[in-house]
Amino acid sequence: MKSPNSPKEHLMVQAERAQGRVKELKESPIPVIYVGCATCGLAAGALETIAGFETVLKENGIEARIEKVGCLGHCYAEPLVIIQNPGFPPLLYQKIGAGEAGILVRSFLKDGSDPCYEYLIGSLEADENFPTLMDYPRYLYENRVVMEHCGLIDPEDIDSFLAVGGYSSLAQGLEKGGAWVLDEVMAANLRGRGGAGFPAGRKWKIARGIEKSSKLVICNGDEGDPGAYMDRTLLESNPHQVLEGLALAALAVGAERALLYIRAEYPLAVKIMERAIVEAQEKNLLGADIMGSDFSLEVSVFQGSGAFVCGEETALIESLAGNRGMPQPRPPYPAVAGLNGLPTVINNVKTLSTVPSIIRNGHQWFRSIGTEESPGTAIFSVVGEVEYPGLVEVPMGVTLEHLVVDICGGIKDGKELKAVQIGGPSGGCLPASLMDTIIDFDSLKKVGAMMGSGGLVVMNEDTCMVEVARYFTDFTQGESCGKCTFCRIGTRHLREILKSITVGEGRMEELADLEELSQAIIKGSLCSLGKTAPNPVLTTLRFFRDEYVAHIEEKRCPAKMCRPLIAFYIDLEPCARGCDACVACCPTDAIFTTSNRKKAIDQEKCVKCGECVYVCPPEYDAVRRVSPPEMIPDQGVEPLTEKNESE
Amino acid sequence: MSDNLITITVDEQKIKALAGAFLLPVCLENDIYIPNLCFLKGMDDPPASCRLCMVEIAGEDEPVASCRCRISEGMEVKTNSDEILRLRQLAFRLLVSTNDGSCRTCIANHGCELQKIAKFLHQPLRTKRLRHIDRDYPKFINTHPFLIYEPKKCVLCGRCVHVCGQLEKGYKLDFAQRGMDSIVSLFGSDLDPASQDCETCLACTEVCPVGALSSKVKWQSFTAEIEAKAKK
Amino acid sequence: MLDQLLAALNETERAAVDEEEYNILRAVVDELLTFSRDISQLIPILQEIQGKHGYLPRLALDMVADHVQTTISKVYGIATFYNQFRFNPPGRNPIKVCLGTACHVKGGEILLENFERRLQIKEGETSDDREYSLERVACIGCCALAPAVVVGEKVEAYVTPSKVEGVITEIEVRKEMAAREQVRNEESQ
Repeated sequence: MKSPNSPKEHLMVQAERAQGRVKELKESPIPVIYVGCATCGLAAGALETIAGFETVLKENGIEARIEKVGCLGHCYAEPLVIIQNPGFPPLLYQKIGAGEAGILVRSFLKDGSDPCYEYLIGSLEADENFPTLMDYPRYLYENRVVMEHCGLIDPEDIDSFLAVGGYSSLAQGLEKGGAWVLDEVMAANLRGRGGAGFPAGRKWKIARGIEKSSKLVICNGDEGDPGAYMDRTLLESNPHQVLEGLALAALAVGAERALLYIRAEYPLAVKIMERAIVEAQEKNLLGADIMGSDFSLEVSVFQGSGAFVCGEETALIESLAGNRGMPQPRPPYPAVAGLNGLPTVINNVKTLSTVPSIIRNGHQWFRSIGTEESPGTAIFSVVGEVEYPGLVEVPMGVTLEHLVVDICGGIKDGKELKAVQIGGPSGGCLPASLMDTIIDFDSLKKVGAMMGSGGLVVMNEDTCMVEVARYFTDFTQGESCGKCTFCRIGTRHLREILKSITVGEGRMEELADLEELSQAIIKGSLCSLGKTAPNPVLTTLRFFRDEYVAHIEEKRCPAKMCRPLIAFYIDLEPCARGCDACVACCPTDAIFTTSNRKKAIDQEKCVKCGECVYVCPPEYDAVRRVSPPEMIPDQGVEPLTEKNESE
Repeated sequence: MSDNLITITVDEQKIKALAGAFLLPVCLENDIYIPNLCFLKGMDDPPASCRLCMVEIAGEDEPVASCRCRISEGMEVKTNSDEILRLRQLAFRLLVSTNDGSCRTCIANHGCELQKIAKFLHQPLRTKRLRHIDRDYPKFINTHPFLIYEPKKCVLCGRCVHVCGQLEKGYKLDFAQRGMDSIVSLFGSDLDPASQDCETCLACTEVCPVGALSSKVKWQSFTAEIEAKAKK
Repeated sequence: MLDQLLAALNETERAAVDEEEYNILRAVVDELLTFSRDISQLIPILQEIQGKHGYLPRLALDMVADHVQTTISKVYGIATFYNQFRFNPPGRNPIKVCLGTACHVKGGEILLENFERRLQIKEGETSDDREYSLERVACIGCCALAPAVVVGEKVEAYVTPSKVEGVITEIEVRKEMAAREQVRNEESQ
């Protein structure tokens, strides 16, 4: 049904109603408790937290509303809770389990006196009595464009998105037309956030230029990089922003059908997106004659079935067609002839999520963020040995140092930074000496890494670089579709060689083989999975060759990580008589009591899990890890027997 | 595509051919041999999977699979540069590193494409530099009433899958599994009455470059022969 | 269709189709009717069957092939390509150990070994009593809470090797409680 109203007027009605509803919530006379319930929040126990709140609220006869929100990206602090108590600014609390929930209710909501500073991060708004989030570097240095509303709005309620200006970019796009949207995105030089950085506008332009009655846009949410989860967060925490971007892309391309391809390992994201589509259709923000215009868009969700290679455009299209997800040689490019031969534009979740802000604020604004060649922001999932892991959105052009040290708090436990792995299986390991590298598509490529999907694993001295290379090669080898020779068999040989090095059976001449194979795989492979698979091997060989050599020539793992090359022993000096902490935790009963009632490890039984190191009380700290295993000193250990007990 | 004849240069030899044709068959027809396994004449959409037919084309940064490269006027092609040679040799070494290498008792002996390519590239059929990778499959799979499949010989070129798919009731054969575990699968053929058509067709066995897929009848008589010889 | 398929099996194969599987296949007949007979529906159909029943029985593949009018080898080829699909019933308590980068660096591999040792099954297997199955998964996206393990539907964060025992005990306790509950209910009736 076409309406006489313009899209903007149409949206205005919806937005005003939504703002009314949200205002009601913001000005609620009773406390409102927002709990982060994306996958990571749930894993950290958000449901138990909610149950805790509910029980204690009931016990104390306090009325409060509990609202589920998405993910703020501050994973180190989960479960995260925002409490909006009348008379106070909205306050953000960290690590709130069921017990802490009870304390918050009793001390803060019931008596209204004690806002529990011990759990508080800060106030969401400037306030003279509380620290604000901007007092923390993690918040101050971030520039949240795409993740602006993540964790603050309810992903399952379209009104909370409409109230913050949601779908206004689409309304604007509908008024000014698809060509204008395309021009804005072209002028913004928005580069694909899926990894390669191909300009999104160029893809759109190609597809727009093709005279075909039917075209297709696809949101690629097949985030398979082990260690990256920002796409999932965006889908789970702000689904309508993705849909708005998708609709704008469809408008620019001239497509009337759109698909969200989401991997099956993200069931919550699938559920939330399916719901969001229905909600948007009900409000005529998607579907037929959107906002009274003559633009219609049918959107549906397709679940990927667990194949990393389907993140590759042509393989993704194959799997949509009901085939094995094998990449196809290009050309033809999907934007020219994709699914069923139709022009098909595929963009990453992050790329599409960026589009509404470009339309809203204009391309000049977008180009003012980031660098000349890579404008905008980059989202990284910074994990591993940093103080504050989680999702971080920074302008392109900042250094790795700034990201890891200033924003994420540097290395945990006062250890040394050894390397950062960027871009997952297609990326590379960069040493501490390259931490001044600038983060953008081209600078990272220059040093052998890749933006990839934005996974960033920070490693300290305890991580073995050969093992990391083996891990990634094992991953890509297992995910190779098996079509082309170099990727199928070549990566297998890489893996075999790396495996033999990590178990101490490597040969020096095989280092040359690794290099030769890697170069050939890059040159000869059919798709980007193969072409980038050797990057972890090449970068570790380049920057950490000494570790390879130590493994091969000395049978020693410098990081003491490769289990066949290490051993654990208990230093009898600090070991405390009568303490049984390590015995209790040992999964293979390898720890026994010595004749002087201290502990020792039976090397035959030990599986080198390292649990005893963990549980040994810090005041004793008696478990030692050595490499190679022959380094265990002879301490003259004898097991405790009846005979020597009586002595 | 037009029927214009155009001229391209391959290794300094001028060749006239139809504009838009694929480069590999053009070279082969002009007696310029380029090793290949997965290509079949007449394919519209070559899979470009074996990566043996890589060539250098002036103006391109990277080596190109000639089987999928359409020729254009003035194209300059090199099929024998050092880099191309190295790349092909390595692709070949990779392929044979998973092969069981039992040529003498193989039904394709003397007619095998791998033997031909080995000779052309001066490469042994058993690679010493790379370790042998034994694929975790039985020596042969004979669930099909008329076909026998030897996974350890298969180079996964996909010619058989292609020709079977061209038939009216095709795709009795298809790839299964993934990566190094990929095989050509005859899954379900034991129950499928349509498998009866295979007895007279056998097109897949004719295109197999290495003798991984054979007619059961032929295979049985061949093994009997081998056994008889061995007894002597 | 189903009866036809059963008739085509030989005796040992037919005997392998137990009552449980037969009931699943009956249900699949109805489920198929909700999908159009188009090849593009192949993966969604397989996902639906796996989602409802936990695995893809052999004969279900034949039925799907018939429904989308393709060959059984094509269906098999697709089902074996994707990690999601399995061909034997999972345990009642499926345990998935995450081996994404962050989990790997923090000892996911060791966790997997501990589960294997504790449950006496290898990765990819189901215990004889069908109580447990063990799998590895490539990143569930809880990297900041590594190492993570998915037990049933629930994600367990910061799992250490010594927590493995606790995870199993929790399942056993829940099972025991459910059993007692049932006995009590039966008695009260």
